[in-house]
Amino acid sequence: MSTLKITNLSKTYANGVKALVNVSIELENGMFGLLGPNGAGKSSLMRTLATLQEADSGSATLDDIDIINQPTELRKVLGYLPQEFGVYPRITAEQLLTHLAILKGVVHSKERKELVKYLLDKVNLYDKRNKNVKGFSGGMKQRIGIAQAIIGNPKLIIVDEPTAGLDPGERNRFYNLLADVSSDVIVILSTHIVDDVRELCTKMAIMNLGEVVYHGEPQSAMDDLKGKVYQKIVTREELKQYAEEYKVISNKMVAGQPHIHVYSDHHPENGFEQVPPNLEDVFFSKINTSNVLV
Amino acid sequence: MFKTFFVSEFKYVLKQPAIYIYIIIFALLEFFTLANQNATAGLIYRNAPFTITRQILQLIFMSLIIMVHFFNNAALRDYKNQFNEILFSTPLHKHGYFFGRFFAVLLLSTFPFFGAYVGLVLGSLLAPIFGWVDAENFGPFSVQTYINNYFIFILPNAFITGSILYSIASKWKNTVTSFLGVLGIISIFIVSSILMSDLSTQTYAAFMDVFGTNLYNVETQYYTALQKNTVYPTFTGLILKNRLLWMTLGAVALLMSYRSFSFASKNEKRKKEKKQGTNSEPIFALPALRIVFTSSTSWLQFKSFFLINFLNIIKSVTFKILLIFCFIILITSLSLGFETLGLQSYPLTYRIVDRINANKNLFSFIILIFFSGELIWRDRDNKINEVIDATAHTSFISMIAKALSLVGTVSILHLVLIGIGIIFQLLSGFTQIELEVYFLDFLYDGFPKYVIFGGIMILIQVLLNQKYIAYFVSILVLFVSGLILTGLDISSNMLHIAGAPSIQYSDLNGFGPGLKGALWFNNYWILFSILCLLVAGYLWNRGVKNSLFKRFKIAKKQIPKSYSGGIIALIIVWTAVGGYVYYNTQILNPGFSNKTVQQLRADYEKKYKKHELLPSPKITAVTYYIDIFPAKQNVDARTVLTLTNENVEVINTLHFTVNEPFWDTEFKVPNSKLIEANEPLGYYSYDLKNPLQSGASMKVEIEAKYRTEGFQNTRGNTDIVGNGTMINYRSVMPHVGYNSRLEIGNNSTRKEYDLPERRQTPKLIKNGTKHHLENAISRGNSDFIKVETIVSTVADQIAIAPGSLVKQWEKEGRTYYRYKTDTPSLNYHTFNSGEYEVAKRKWKGIDIEVYHDKKHAVNTTMMLNAVERALKYYTTHFGPYYHKQCRIIEVPRYVRFGGQAFPGTMLYSEAAGFVMNLEDETKNNIVDAVIAHEMAHQWWAHQVIGANMQGNSMLSESLAEYSTLMTLKSIAKTPMEIREFLEYDHDMYLRGRSLELDKELPLYKVENQRYVRYGKGSIVLYGLQDFIGEERVNTALKGFLEAYRYKKAPYPSSLNFIEDFLEPQVPDSLNYLIKDWFKEITLYDNLLTNATYKKLENGKYSITLGIESHKIKADSIGNEAVVTMNDWIDVGFFLDNDETELYQQKRVKINTSTNTFTFELDTLPVKAAIDPRHIFIDKRYADNIKVLSEQE
Repeated sequence: MSTLKITNLSKTYANGVKALVNVSIELENGMFGLLGPNGAGKSSLMRTLATLQEADSGSATLDDIDIINQPTELRKVLGYLPQEFGVYPRITAEQLLTHLAILKGVVHSKERKELVKYLLDKVNLYDKRNKNVKGFSGGMKQRIGIAQAIIGNPKLIIVDEPTAGLDPGERNRFYNLLADVSSDVIVILSTHIVDDVRELCTKMAIMNLGEVVYHGEPQSAMDDLKGKVYQKIVTREELKQYAEEYKVISNKMVAGQPHIHVYSDHHPENGFEQVPPNLEDVFFSKINTSNVLV
Repeated sequence: MFKTFFVSEFKYVLKQPAIYIYIIIFALLEFFTLANQNATAGLIYRNAPFTITRQILQLIFMSLIIMVHFFNNAALRDYKNQFNEILFSTPLHKHGYFFGRFFAVLLLSTFPFFGAYVGLVLGSLLAPIFGWVDAENFGPFSVQTYINNYFIFILPNAFITGSILYSIASKWKNTVTSFLGVLGIISIFIVSSILMSDLSTQTYAAFMDVFGTNLYNVETQYYTALQKNTVYPTFTGLILKNRLLWMTLGAVALLMSYRSFSFASKNEKRKKEKKQGTNSEPIFALPALRIVFTSSTSWLQFKSFFLINFLNIIKSVTFKILLIFCFIILITSLSLGFETLGLQSYPLTYRIVDRINANKNLFSFIILIFFSGELIWRDRDNKINEVIDATAHTSFISMIAKALSLVGTVSILHLVLIGIGIIFQLLSGFTQIELEVYFLDFLYDGFPKYVIFGGIMILIQVLLNQKYIAYFVSILVLFVSGLILTGLDISSNMLHIAGAPSIQYSDLNGFGPGLKGALWFNNYWILFSILCLLVAGYLWNRGVKNSLFKRFKIAKKQIPKSYSGGIIALIIVWTAVGGYVYYNTQILNPGFSNKTVQQLRADYEKKYKKHELLPSPKITAVTYYIDIFPAKQNVDARTVLTLTNENVEVINTLHFTVNEPFWDTEFKVPNSKLIEANEPLGYYSYDLKNPLQSGASMKVEIEAKYRTEGFQNTRGNTDIVGNGTMINYRSVMPHVGYNSRLEIGNNSTRKEYDLPERRQTPKLIKNGTKHHLENAISRGNSDFIKVETIVSTVADQIAIAPGSLVKQWEKEGRTYYRYKTDTPSLNYHTFNSGEYEVAKRKWKGIDIEVYHDKKHAVNTTMMLNAVERALKYYTTHFGPYYHKQCRIIEVPRYVRFGGQAFPGTMLYSEAAGFVMNLEDETKNNIVDAVIAHEMAHQWWAHQVIGANMQGNSMLSESLAEYSTLMTLKSIAKTPMEIREFLEYDHDMYLRGRSLELDKELPLYKVENQRYVRYGKGSIVLYGLQDFIGEERVNTALKGFLEAYRYKKAPYPSSLNFIEDFLEPQVPDSLNYLIKDWFKEITLYDNLLTNATYKKLENGKYSITLGIESHKIKADSIGNEAVVTMNDWIDVGFFLDNDETELYQQKRVKINTSTNTFTFELDTLPVKAAIDPRHIFIDKRYADNIKVLSEQE
């Protein structure tokens, strides 16, 4: 059982943007969801954990590895899929994975060969192993990215918005693959898709403007909101008025009609009906503290 | 529609940075070329129309890359951005789109030249103001030059190359094809350049030239300084024809492309997906992995990195194109062969190596610079950097893999070129392929350079962390740093990147004296390169982009101490090696920089010039004791001089100037007191206790030692070597008295050192000056003297000294020889030692001997023949040969000369006659000619030598050239054979005067202009014998020889020869030739305006020739004036197209500029010619000959 402990991590960019503000999280094996809107600081946090960026202050440890000061040690047990994953030109899928396997310390060539074949098969690209990887579609490239992230028995796998650009089938395959390996490693999955977290993660955190605004289990977050979320179908013209009068946590179109969710300790009446909270409500209630329409 | 696209394209390009970068680069290039202190152009202004045009033409060649960039972009941008589908679905007109863009880019692609113009104008304004260049080097500003260049060269060229490139790009929509198009254009240019090298095909070359460089060179090759300063290019003659031809071709290409241009996308070939056999799918299981991070992992990582990088470059289109490019250029260069004046040398391995090295450098630099950036930025550009950076490898591993894949790539290029070289040798039927020479040259010179530059380029990329800025800096480092160091007078190879002594392979002597130094310098620089890589690994930006300072801080925190320890350890090793190199090159063998040497020479003049006119004794006999130690490259010499006081005054003090500062020289002057010993200046004075009375003699002994210790910054001494040593007498013997040869010659340099202006060579005066008392070689130190030598060398070599071998003996494993001259000769000798074989022949009691390397026996018989032929002619027509030997000694190819004549001995470079392919030569050839020339010096220079003044080299070189031509003529089968030789002389003369930096002098006053003493000298003397007869010229020569042969001062001047001996042989009617040809500068411009024939009823042919003739007198700076003509000129015919059968030559008098002549001939010739044998110096000879056409 590994433990990742992040303590008071802060990072401010040269232009004044606060990417991380006193972030402290502690996690253990299993899949951990990191939710947050674009620009919340998710990628900064993940890059810092992946030893690719310096933090101004704070610390992060994986078991007895000090991530900030012993990057090389951490790299030995890290699997990382960045937000944008590209490939070299003039190289086949198999060559690319073999190269990365060597970089990750898979030194025995027989094992390496088997591993690469296994991974290619797992991501359904075994047939294309001898094809030029640069010519792959976005989804196929992303699958290569996933395959490389789990090479070499990592203890910590960080995947940054991995399902962007994947079709539903690919997305399912991807999650199955992650689920396979996640039982005895820490997997941090950053995403802005709430469903991903609901389906996969036992633990989660929500980030906004560099801060962790929620940290815990998805279910307990939803439990917290139980009986406090109400829904109503309104017209577009009324939206603004509702936003002023209620604590609107989200609005979305269903069949062309705005459905709004409001947060309230008591029943707001006025045609609202109580609904069981979902994770999206949690998400929006956490980040939409200024109560504007999103 | 046209306007819309024109304007939008214009705006688009102006918003991109590229065009500004090009403009700035061009401006800077021209500015610095113009304002650069060092370039000397003599009489030609820095901003002369000629110079400016040449600069512009150079830029036009360079602008090819801009053309590709712009035109390709214009044609392909929409496709690349996949905007085409949107754009082409809108209603647009094809012509607007196609031509709008084309013309916008056409105009834009010439913008960088405006930058160049700004640079040129600013340079010529600012350079004189800031005193970088003297104002006198700038002429008036010529607007017309700039305007004409734009419309004649810049714009048309942009149109021509642009339309070809635009057409190709629009048609194939593929960058690679565009590059191939460029390759095609360059190939045409290369072919044109090859045609340039032959006088007869120059006109074709000018036609074929797309860029205009060769075209302009042909147009201006015989321009005088005045013309270069005033004449700007115009749309006339060849230029007009060339431009019309290429513009038409460009327009055709463009129109064809327009017609086939279509908005529909090109049909993309869809490859059929190969159905893979549905084999039973294997079942995969995740293997149990043993993850290990040890040093063996690092090794694996390194290999994997290397392979990935290396394959990536090798497979890239850019590399392949560069490779093909380099291919083509090498093959073209090889196919030129190794010609010297019509003769081919065998394709020896070292010659191929020279060619490879000359052609590959540019390409290796391009590859190193371009791919260093590609490799460093590859991860980032392909967005895989974060994944790679987050794996556990040391950055250094990745750096060194990158560096080595660069090195590997360039090595592949090198090896491929070697392969081509070997194939070329085999195809030429040459089988003595020396693989070890190829390999060792690669190992000594190629590979180390690649490693060094690879490491440095990578560090630059890592430090600057900006791809294009780093490219720019890399280019600066590669090309400019050397210039700056040279400008600062720093010559140490420890500062010139990858600097090392040069190595040059010689059949006699292997890689030569520079090898040891080269290897040490290579070590020094390779260590530096590894250090660069270590630092690059230290500062490598992993993850998010950081400033250098930040990266340094991160590295300090993250990188293990052992790594920094490694860097420090390497610095220590590097410093140690550097220290050793420093010790060898600066302390043990301190070299002198140019400035130091000049300073020394200036000091010498200031301090000792006052002794110049003091009475000085003459050397009247010499005995040399010379011991040569080839393996150690050491020499011990003892020289016993007999000094005789031939002055009236008593001599109280002896002065000596050491000639060779690197020899350890010691004087033993009996009964004397050293009163001045200036070691740096090599000046020593001794007071004699018993003054030397008039007519009395005394002996002085000089010990001179040469020691090779360690290695030097440069190749060092190339005279004293393992095999093929040659020691010039000057090395072991000092100059007696003050040596005016050491004075700085260039007057503007003299000014810098506060020295008064001086004349290079004393003025020509017929008789009676003090300059007649000394000859041009020994400058008063001696007259004709006898010499005895005892020389020793190792047992397996032969040592040769002047004169007959009197005795030979062995002692302690060394061979000793005693040589003695049989006749007094000039004190001008060489002492040689080498592993020679000797080809011998006896002719009338004279031993003809060729000392040669055992590999070079193939031509020795022909060389013996040539010596014999020369001896025969010269002894018959001039006078006896007084030595008992006639020796040719082969020396390593380090020497700059082809041949050099000493009394009875000629040195001949291994690269000249010994390796020429004479298998198919039946006619006269250059090997004969060089031997005949050097043999002629045995009379002209060694029997009679001119006084030290203007015109003296006419008495040696011109007469030797004349003698050569006569020897060749004596065996020539047709009168036309000699024209082939004369043509080189004509070209040498006209080209030489066009490049004259100071002023041209008439032949009889020639100073050191090669083009006058060799080129004009041969033409004029040959022409004279053609007019007055060979016998009369030889009679004059014989008379002159007999009057001055082996005589002491006074020495003759050129006027003594011309007026006392030559003129009496010239009939009065031809006296004008002496004036025109010898005493003035006269040129002709003859031309055949028409040549027609008519068949007569008697079966004969009536032929009418229209002839235009001008006689031109030139003054010393190239002002030319047409003068009245009253001259005899030949008119004749050729029966064949190749102009070998001369027919019915007639000498006619021409006294008007246009003439018509009619001839009645039995046979119908093919061609008619004025001056068919090319006797006259004709400004343009090609128009002298015309094919006859039937009269209408």
